[in-house]
Amino acid sequence: MKYLDHATKNDNLKKIRNFSIIAHVDHGKSTLADRLIESTHTVEGRNMKSQLLDMLELERERGITIKLVPVRMNYEATDGQKYILNLIDTPGHVDFNYEVSRSLAACEGAVLIVDAAQGVEAQTVANAYLATEQNLDLIPVLNKIDLPSASPERAMREIEEVIGLDASGAILASAKDGTGIGEILERIVSDIRPPDGSTDAPLRALIFDSVYDNYKGVISYVRVVDGEIAPKKAISFMATGETYEVEEVGVFTPSMSPVAALGPGEVGYIVAGIKSLADASVGDTITDPRRPARSPLPGYRRVKPVVFCGYYPIEREEINSLRDALEKLQINDSAITFEPESSAALGFGFRCGFLGLLHMEIAKERLFREFGVELVATTPNVVYQLKLTDGTVTEARRPSDFPSDAAKLEEVLEPYIRVTIFLPDDYVGPTMQLSQEKRGAYVSMDYIAQGRVRLVYDLPLAEFIMDFHDRLKSATRGYASLDYEHTGYRPSDLVKVDILIQEAPVDAFSFICHRDAAYGRGHSVATKLKELIPRQLFEVPIQAAIGKKVIVRTNVKALRKDVLAKCYGGDITRKRKLLEKQKEGKKRMKQVGRVSIPQEAFMAFMDVSGDEGK
Amino acid sequence: MKSVYIHVPFCESKCPYCAFSSAVKKTADEETYLKALEAEIAARSPLARGNAISTLYIGGGTPTALSPSAWLGLISIIKGAFRLAPDAEVTAEANPSTLSPRHVGLWRGFVNRVSIGVQSFNDAELAFLGRVHDTRQAEEAALLCADAGFKTSFDLMFGLPGQTLRGWGENLRRAAELSPDHISAYQLTIEPGTLFADLPLSGALTDGYGHYRFAQWFLPRKGYGQYEVASFSKPGEESRHNLNYWADGEYLGLGPSAWSHIGASRSKNAPDLAEYARMMASGKSASVYEENLARAPNARQAAVLALRTKNGIVWRSFKERHGKTLKDEIEEKLARFPKSLVINDGTAVRLTPAGFRVANKIWEEII
Repeated sequence: MKYLDHATKNDNLKKIRNFSIIAHVDHGKSTLADRLIESTHTVEGRNMKSQLLDMLELERERGITIKLVPVRMNYEATDGQKYILNLIDTPGHVDFNYEVSRSLAACEGAVLIVDAAQGVEAQTVANAYLATEQNLDLIPVLNKIDLPSASPERAMREIEEVIGLDASGAILASAKDGTGIGEILERIVSDIRPPDGSTDAPLRALIFDSVYDNYKGVISYVRVVDGEIAPKKAISFMATGETYEVEEVGVFTPSMSPVAALGPGEVGYIVAGIKSLADASVGDTITDPRRPARSPLPGYRRVKPVVFCGYYPIEREEINSLRDALEKLQINDSAITFEPESSAALGFGFRCGFLGLLHMEIAKERLFREFGVELVATTPNVVYQLKLTDGTVTEARRPSDFPSDAAKLEEVLEPYIRVTIFLPDDYVGPTMQLSQEKRGAYVSMDYIAQGRVRLVYDLPLAEFIMDFHDRLKSATRGYASLDYEHTGYRPSDLVKVDILIQEAPVDAFSFICHRDAAYGRGHSVATKLKELIPRQLFEVPIQAAIGKKVIVRTNVKALRKDVLAKCYGGDITRKRKLLEKQKEGKKRMKQVGRVSIPQEAFMAFMDVSGDEGK
Repeated sequence: MKSVYIHVPFCESKCPYCAFSSAVKKTADEETYLKALEAEIAARSPLARGNAISTLYIGGGTPTALSPSAWLGLISIIKGAFRLAPDAEVTAEANPSTLSPRHVGLWRGFVNRVSIGVQSFNDAELAFLGRVHDTRQAEEAALLCADAGFKTSFDLMFGLPGQTLRGWGENLRRAAELSPDHISAYQLTIEPGTLFADLPLSGALTDGYGHYRFAQWFLPRKGYGQYEVASFSKPGEESRHNLNYWADGEYLGLGPSAWSHIGASRSKNAPDLAEYARMMASGKSASVYEENLARAPNARQAAVLALRTKNGIVWRSFKERHGKTLKDEIEEKLARFPKSLVINDGTAVRLTPAGFRVANKIWEEII
């Protein structure tokens, strides 16, 4: 504990290094982090789980990092001095770019990993630029040099030509076999500047993440800039003005270990009996209520959700559990937004906003795994802008926001993104074809190296979120990488397609799409529903319609008969149990009018567009 | 308690579709069985509380697999323990291949109704079903019983692999020509624990809809009214024993695997003969399972049973037995179905023939 405390004095600031590791997915970030933790003896080898930092169960399964996780390492450098290295992990997927900028705001430097065999990829560029924007000291590392296909010279050239960074000092490393790990630790000490700040200045600490703990309440992850935080002291949040008494402060080793105080430049956590996220929001500045800082630290660019969908509990009574779970999840993932909505078919639920499809999927999984909430998610969509004939402009976050009378609609605008794709030139043909099919507009194409191409397209976000990433992967055998930025709204010929079951529109199934795609998608939705809706006691028509015009029609045939067994004295109990079991299975269906629709129908609906492409 | 069921756990061979408890008989088994059955009857016949028994059903298994001498013993045990009402319905199940004139002779004056496991009038279908009899034997058995003055019932099976509607129509036509008093028509189902369950058969089974609907159309034209989901009879020839099951009535089940329903309790005897005999020999009850349903599930089960029959649920007696709340609950749930399937005339609610065809889905709603 004493050793951990030694940095709380001003003169020890120069012994602290706060850094992140940034990389494209699969370039070896987690493995490198593991090596650093190992070689600083932060975690004993026997306690070492592979990819220690990927703490969420889901992250381990998917091999990706979503939540940023800090870890504190003690390192004795070759200069004989002892340093504290705070590693703040960052996620790699584009959906989670906002997490990257949050991590970076708490650091002075970053290790930029580039796979020596793959070269620079789309997110390498995006993350390197985010770090540059935050004025971080960057250390380029060429990883996986043990691979026979490694080509460090080419990777270095790409770093210089594609990103524009000086790669002459790049470290050759292999996180797998340990090559270069010692040099990376030394360079973190020598190349990354120590934090500045003062114990005597009024307290300023940045909240860069929060988690919810059932016993302790909100646990805020903080980076202290000035002043000191210690138990029993009062703190206040500058955004809300709320004041709390600190109960515990600590550091990440990587498990949470209490310390006596957190001083300038330090990274740690605080517990202060905070029950609500609203009082400790990520990006806010903590100060001392008796001696408040004059101005807060620069917070974060508030990320706006770009993808929306409805979440509905499977059992209607579970609406309150779903709300509780969403509130708790939001503490941990502030990028999620939600507001109540109701649907004729699904009852009460929430319209939730996400940063992308993966984010949406992960949130749903976490709600189930961490909170035991099972839900139905409606098909995702983007936010449209509607210009009405009376001159007003509104936002449509869901198909039902479209006016029921199509004549009232003057123009529909949809969000566009500019997609940058890095790929081997062999796959340019299929990738361009995919982009055209997705209503993309070609912007540019150039060779960034021998055989490697950068392709830029403007694409409707709606087309992108549907399945662009998956289809790109299959079109390029996984060799492409991409990044995107939002480029604003453009007018499009979009229509709302309603799906009617037994003549009544089921809002969960309606969707917005380009007029030319309406028939195709309407057909595949109707066909899929026909497969998934079990036969009822009467014929059930399924239709797709634009306004009053029906464009697709199909039928679920009436149930004719299922096996009617005989039932004598010995069969009665068994028959009752069988019926009860069938009824139990039926409970998992949503009753829409007189039609029972199984949960799978709502789930599978999200795959409809995927079926078209395969 | 006026109904008794006795289970005979023997067969000449095990049918591949049959999930009933039975074993291929060895001579020594008959003695074991009779001895244990006698002990059970001695212990449990007082449950009849001196009531005259109005229906007795000897089923299996294959009761005709029991030797004539064993039958003599069985009849004397029953007569010694129970008082049969003068108009009692006494049914024995028979297999065409084992029914002999000697059985018929022994039954005279005791059995008055024979349920014959015909299954089919097509030899290829019988072979598929693993039956040891053929069409000719089935016809002979029917005539033998009719000549002896017994009421007869045929079991017929549809939905066999490759069975066309015409083929099933032929079966029904030949059955009607022999003019039994009663016909049970049911669909081949693959039960777990049967030989068929291990075969990749389910794909080959026809869905049976047309077959069932054809039976509903054809049999009434030949004088057989449908009075239950799987049962058709000439007027007044309904199985009284089975009607008691569907009326949620009490019955005493004797022999291995037999179920009893007495008071609120439903219980089952040990299915294995050796186990059953051991339990009886040690003076214990042979029951291995018992349940006492709570009020609500019991009422719902009774409603499902009643809806199997053309009489349906008679509201007045249902309310007296199960109370107004549960009566209202079931009435309200059944009101959701169209009149083409469920008819409620205020006195009773019943399924239409179309309702019988989708009965499982309707029962699911009220169970």
